[in-house]
This record gives sequence, structure tokens and C-alpha cells, in this order.
Amino acid sequence: MELLHNLAVGFGVALTPANLFFALTGALIGTLIGVLPGIGPIATIAMLLPLTFHLEPTSGLIMLAGIFYGAQYGGSTTAILVNLPGETSSVVTCIDGHQMARQGRAGAALAVAALASFFAGCVSTMLIATFAPPLAIVGQSFGAPEYFSLMVLGLIAAVVLAHGSVIKAIAMIILGLLIGLVGTDGNTGGTRFTFGIIELTDGIDVATLAIGIFGIGEIITNLTRPQESRALVTQKITRLWPTREDFQRAWPAALRGTALGSVLGVLPGGGATLSAFAAYAVEKRSSKHPAQFGHGAVEGVAGPESANNAGAQTSFIPMLTLGIPGNAVMALMIGALTIHGIQPGPQIMTERPGMFWGMIASMWLGNLMLVIINLPLIGIWVQLLKVPYRFLYLAILLFCGIGVYTVSNSSAAVLLAAFFGVLGYVFTRLECEPAPMILGFVLGPLMEENLRRAMRISSGDPMIFLERPISLGLLIAALALCVLVALPAIRSKREEAFQEN
Amino acid sequence: MSIGGQSQVPHTYWHLLARRDVLAGLLFVGVALLGLWLSRDYPIGTALRMGTGYVPRLLCWILLGLGAVVLVQGLRAAQTERPLSSADMSAWRPVIFVTASLVIFGLSIEHLGLVLSILLLIGVGSVAARELRPIETGVAALVLIALSWGIFILGLGLTIPVWPEW
Repeated sequence: MELLHNLAVGFGVALTPANLFFALTGALIGTLIGVLPGIGPIATIAMLLPLTFHLEPTSGLIMLAGIFYGAQYGGSTTAILVNLPGETSSVVTCIDGHQMARQGRAGAALAVAALASFFAGCVSTMLIATFAPPLAIVGQSFGAPEYFSLMVLGLIAAVVLAHGSVIKAIAMIILGLLIGLVGTDGNTGGTRFTFGIIELTDGIDVATLAIGIFGIGEIITNLTRPQESRALVTQKITRLWPTREDFQRAWPAALRGTALGSVLGVLPGGGATLSAFAAYAVEKRSSKHPAQFGHGAVEGVAGPESANNAGAQTSFIPMLTLGIPGNAVMALMIGALTIHGIQPGPQIMTERPGMFWGMIASMWLGNLMLVIINLPLIGIWVQLLKVPYRFLYLAILLFCGIGVYTVSNSSAAVLLAAFFGVLGYVFTRLECEPAPMILGFVLGPLMEENLRRAMRISSGDPMIFLERPISLGLLIAALALCVLVALPAIRSKREEAFQEN
Repeated sequence: MSIGGQSQVPHTYWHLLARRDVLAGLLFVGVALLGLWLSRDYPIGTALRMGTGYVPRLLCWILLGLGAVVLVQGLRAAQTERPLSSADMSAWRPVIFVTASLVIFGLSIEHLGLVLSILLLIGVGSVAARELRPIETGVAALVLIALSWGIFILGLGLTIPVWPEW
């Protein structure tokens, strides 16, 4: 039983007091920012990324992972009680969750959301433990041409599954790749796009870019929006435990949501948000009482909530096994690895089994802690919602500033982040998704390196990408995705998947 | 274009330009051209021995093509799509003050220390919000100073100067 042995190694690492503390801290920070609208996991992880430099790499990763799945728990609380999605992944939970709350069943809705999330967390942790090792072995057999093609496929798929214009998203990837080139070229020693600024010769740190685009950019975007009125459900939450009927209707939905979320999470561009939207659509279509949806159907809470948690966690699989990030959060996790000088890729599992399995074990522990801690703490989280945004953004702004300063203890990084903040706001206004840009930024140097290696193998013949069967297959898949998304029928379906009222 | 009677012409130009995709396309094309210009002297090399400029120039050409497509699509759709209204453009206040507060923070932290630079960041940053409440903001600043001192200096032991260094 290799799996059991591996899990034993993992729990050995995850159960040390320090790592338990960081899992709990991450989960609590995640819940906090999940509850608060106006700040998401990407911005938070970017802000805390420089701080993980002072931690053990394993502890740092455990905390950052905790923020990501903790945010999925927290987001549902705000969705149900305030009808405001704390996170984009809980947008659909608002629909039926808030209706349940208005019918006086807020407790049941919160409990169903937490239990469904926990169930999904358990299943997806097992999935990671089962499927990560074989995938990593496949990854280890890849050469430079295969890796290059895999990254092309990953980037294209990330764009196709995300919402918005595909061409704009591909352009954003190229922009990210270009920003990733800033600095010194490791192969030739020449500097690129540094504008003669000394601080740029070392390249731009992923934390600086992400804090600017997501942290500062979001603040500006939020401040330009009219203030939302927050319709807080004020009546006391009396009955927390769902009824027997709730249970009977919720568990099949949680099962379906977990399955769907697990699959969509692994795909590039997938992850929590897409999983939640897809799960809601599935529940609504397959339900025997579709008329109840929008009026407090418990399946409409259990399905998406299990799906977003499952999707959040299985999106770690390609990052951990192949070193390919499927979404912006995973791109930042790769940034965290490289801060510590760890090369992301399939060798992590064999070279650092303690870190690999420790992180997986901590995910399950973190989920357990979340479900135990969060239900009693809901009262406190709700109180936090009364903090108005005019205080919140000042705190976020300050933590962004300190976070980016500590990246390299340089004022230049802060100025750069301010510039990226304005850029991030412009992108939001022009409906250019910034997430693909971060993926391109992180993969850029790796792609160039593998392109160069592949060209050296083939003596400069680009046909090598088509002559190697695995590489050819990956490129055909990328092309097929591009063609598919251009078909009108698929295009309208894709737009539909992200619209749910 | 003369000012005055011919206000019709700049008006329609503006309406054609003020579309998301048109502006996005122009942005991409602009960045691509800037990149091509900046990398004009980078050695390109060959596919076998790629120089510093090989990948940057390749990417810039792709971006130029994509930007052009976005631009053309935007112009074609411009007849039907709603232009960006003046409300979309009224964001100057957060843009200026959020950016300024961060720039001031970055420039001052090494010389003035954490406490004073936080005060500056909060002071300038609070102007970005619609309503300004000096007393509340002052309290918030004190809380945030205490919080950051506790977390970053006491807790994490970061080497950031706390007070001005003369």
C-alpha cells in the first residue's frame, strides 16, 4: 500500500505544530477574505507571498493553499446571509442560498454548504493522492518539445474555459509572456525591456505583478463602483442542522457537484468558479422540481458549494505534478516555489516527498478544521461584514504596499506595483481578463527555455514539435480547442455557462 | 479639424474610439509596437542559437496581429455596441489617489520609516473614496499602524525602519 505509506509521510509533516498552525492560519485568513467582498484569494495570496519567504517552503505552501480553499468556505457565508458573493466562485450560491436564508433557513443553508464543501474536500484530497503520482511519472518522461507543447495546450485551454473574448485572452497571455521576459536573459546574458532601470535587470517578481494587477487594480475598480447596499439577514440563526428532507435532497447534489468540480478543476482554466457555475446548471437541469430553483432549493447550495471546493483542490494536480498552473492562484503557488529556489515540475514528488504529501495531508486537515471551526464562528464572520469598504480598502492598500516592499526591500517594486495597479484597472474596464496574463508571465521563462532546448535537440528544425507523437497530440488538442470555441454553437453555450440569473 | 462649428467630427471619432474592444486593440498594438522598437537592437540569432531578441520579437509580432484583429472586430461592432459613457471615465479620483498614496509610501518608507509612511498612505489614500471622514480615518490609521507594527515588526521580524532615520 504505497498510498497509505505516502499519506503517513504526509500526515507526519502536516501534523507538526508549526504546520498545523500555518494550515489553520491560512484557512482562517481564507475564510476572512472569502467572507469579505472586495478582496479575493488571488490578491491575498499575492500580498502574503513575500512573507512566505521567511517560512519553511512547506509551511508557506500549506498556508497559501489554506487561503485558497478557505476562501471557498467563507464565500458561501456572505452569499447566503447577505446575497453578495464574497468570491466569484460563490455567485451561484447566492441564488438559492439567500432565498433559504430569507425563509428562515439560513442555518440549514450554511450547514449544507459547509458539509458539502467538506465532503468535496475529502474526496478531492483522495483524488490528488491517487492521481498525482502516475501523472508525475508521465511528466518525468517528457522532454523539452513535449513540455513546450504541453504549456501551449495549457495556456490555450485556460483561455477557452475562462469567460470573455478568446482573442483578447490570448493577447493577454502574450502580454504576460512579454512581461515575463523583462530582465536578464539567462542564456545570452543580454538585458531585455529594462528601460535602463537597474532594478528591472533581475526581472519583475510575480508578487509585484499580482499585487498590482489584482490587489491595487481591484481597489480602484471597487472604488469606482456605486456602493452596494448590504441586505444583511439579521434574525438569529436558530436551527443550524438541516432537516431530514434537506439531507436527502442535498447529498446526491453534493455527490454530483464533487464529481463535476473534481474533473473541471484539473483542466487548465478550470478551478472553483467554472465548477460552481457548471454544477448549478447541472442541478437545475436534472432536478425533478426545477421550479424550486431560485426559491431556496437546497440542491442549488449543495451542488455548487461542493463543486467549487472540489475544483479549487483538484486544480493543484497539474501544478504539483507537471508544474503547469491552471489558474492564477496556481501561478502564484509556482511563484512561491521559485522564491524558495524549488523548480516546479514532476521531480517535486520524488525529490521532496515530505513537502508534496505534507501539503496534501494538510488540505484534508484544513478542511476538517474549517468545518469544525466555521459553523460556530459564523456570528463573528457576519459581524465583520459590517466593516465598511472605506476602511477595508485602506487596510488592503497598506498590506499591498508593505507586501510588495518586502519582496525585495526596494521602493522600485512599490512604484512598479502602483503602475500595474492602474494597468489592472484599465484591463478590467476594457474587459481584458488579467488571469491569463499571470499564467503567461509565470510560464514565459519556462517556455522560452524549453523552446531553446527543443531547438538544440532538433538542430533548429521546428518540425520537431510535430514529429514527436506526444508533442503532436498536445498541439492538435490545442488547435482543436481553438477551432471548437470558434464554432457558433459552442460559443453561445460557453457564454451561457457563465450567465445564471 | 476646427474647433467650434465642426464639433460633429471629433464627436463621432470619439464615439468610434470609446469602445472597449477598440481601445483594447489599440493597447495591444501599442505595446507590440513599443516592444518591437525597444528590441530593435537585440540580437535575433537563429532558431538553433536564439539571441536575446528572438522570442521577444516573435511575441511582439503575434501580439501585433492579435491586437489588430481585436481592433478590427471592435470597429465592426462599434455600430451596435454602447460606447463607454462618461460615467465609465469618471474614475480619475480613485486612480489618482490610490496610485499616489502607493507611490508616496514606496518613496517614503526607507527614509521616514513605517509609522510616518503609513500615515501618508492612509492620508492620501482616503481621498480616493467618495466621502471623506477625517476622524474615522485618523482612528483607522492608528489601528493599522498598531496592526502592521505587531504583524510585520514584532511577529515576522522584518527589517523595515519604524521611525525616520536621520
